[in-house]
Amino acid sequence: MNDPHGDAGAATFTAGPDGDRDDAGLVRRIGQGDEDAMAAFYREHGRVVLAQVLLVAGERAGAEEIVQDTMLAVWRGAASFRGESSVRSWVIAIARRQTRDRLRGRRLRVVGDAFLADQPGSGPGPEATALDRAELAEVMVGIRALAAPHRELLGLVFGSGLSLPEVAGVLEIPVGTVKSRLAAARTALSRILNEKGHDR
Amino acid sequence: MNADPADTRYPHLDLADLIAGATGQAIGDRAREHLASCEHCRSEAARWNLVADGVRGLAAAAPETAQPARPRRTGRRVPPGPWRRAVLVAGSAAAALVLLAGVGEVSGLVHVHLSGPGTSGSATSGPGTGTALTAVTGCARLEQADGTLEQVNGAILVIKTASGQRVTVTTTATTFVSTSGALLGDITDGASVMVRGSRSGGAIDAAIVTVGQPFSAVNPPGFVPVRGTVSDVSTAGFTLVTSSGTRIPVTTSGGTLVVVPHASLGQLPAGAAIFAVGHAGPDGTLSARAVAAIRQLPRGNPHLFVRLKNCSPASIGSVLAFGG
Repeated sequence: MNDPHGDAGAATFTAGPDGDRDDAGLVRRIGQGDEDAMAAFYREHGRVVLAQVLLVAGERAGAEEIVQDTMLAVWRGAASFRGESSVRSWVIAIARRQTRDRLRGRRLRVVGDAFLADQPGSGPGPEATALDRAELAEVMVGIRALAAPHRELLGLVFGSGLSLPEVAGVLEIPVGTVKSRLAAARTALSRILNEKGHDR
Repeated sequence: MNADPADTRYPHLDLADLIAGATGQAIGDRAREHLASCEHCRSEAARWNLVADGVRGLAAAAPETAQPARPRRTGRRVPPGPWRRAVLVAGSAAAALVLLAGVGEVSGLVHVHLSGPGTSGSATSGPGTGTALTAVTGCARLEQADGTLEQVNGAILVIKTASGQRVTVTTTATTFVSTSGALLGDITDGASVMVRGSRSGGAIDAAIVTVGQPFSAVNPPGFVPVRGTVSDVSTAGFTLVTSSGTRIPVTTSGGTLVVVPHASLGQLPAGAAIFAVGHAGPDGTLSARAVAAIRQLPRGNPHLFVRLKNCSPASIGSVLAFGG
């Protein structure tokens, strides 16, 4: 329960500033059966977890169930939390496993590394131009249209409050791969915007 | 920092720096300085900011988690409920210093009319009610907030509007932050400045002094800009030493506008007149791309304009003009 990475060599995390220490204290109290601590934990992390799950699952009712299962897993597994990772990355890793298990039957589209690591050009080509000219609402629609792994990655990086090493830990990939996949995700987003005519 | 594959002579910010900026994490002084001077990196940062805003926008649109159903399965313990999400509290108070926000006639133009203390505002919504954000003319998705800077808490600003509403403004390391006013104290020996003013004999009567990294946008018509280094500062002015070594006397007065185009949030004191432009966030917050504070109003009846080229976040802050 406390090892969301499954790969000890992927990344090592240390507890961050005060917020993380408070979170660790919350988890410790949850492990002791403190219901108020569980409520506080949900207030602290529930919305972020739900947003991340929703980004991947794409469907509200299912996402809420996954969050419920995640919180249940937190409640059950808090006592075994060893504090080797940040609480946020721990709970998101749990949510990720819950999401994967729930969606297994739906057969998420599997995207190979070659596709995910597709690097964008360095210059401000039409794809960058597309992003320059896009409005926020269009970008949001474009993100929704991305492949699930790209959505998941963008959510982890920009929506979860995790650092790049922590994201690498949750995804069980090197930080360098996180970066290349980020670039690929942005390229894919730009292409979607291009298709909507924002490269002109 | 990273090397641009296209030109290894000029290092650019690497992806980690850009992501840190987009997620509100601290970036180093060197990276910040580079960002201030590198248009390529500012554009890249703006693109990542937009992606980050898109993700956060989706998160903000996610359903509330206020009353989740109790777990369907029993564990060794049952989590308690209800779990409520924190609510952003809007405050109420009378504004002491008011910015009357107008709307420019040009597409993509923010126009703020600055007024002195004691002037009443034109906003009609009551304290703590409705939204305090105003659409930017010509930019469908950009909003502005203006009023008095009430507090700076890390990367978050609280602006109190003319109607007494409080707007929470979030910033990142790449948010364009400028400050201006009759800030003669910011002109110090050794500072790199751009002076714009009228010639008076062999001297310049300074109308605008831009301190720090040049900001091409501060360029009202009628003035010839002269760049150099400040020397011999006094209450009457200073000597501008150009790159060729020419020494030009510059006179300043209470009417001289001093602009710090690339300021830090720490340079924005509470009580300053301020406006912010960006994307509307959850709960009436504003995710700012540009913040401009006027710490001390110059004499006259000033207006502040910010033109947003193509309404692109990358262009916000690219043009700032000040006129009477």
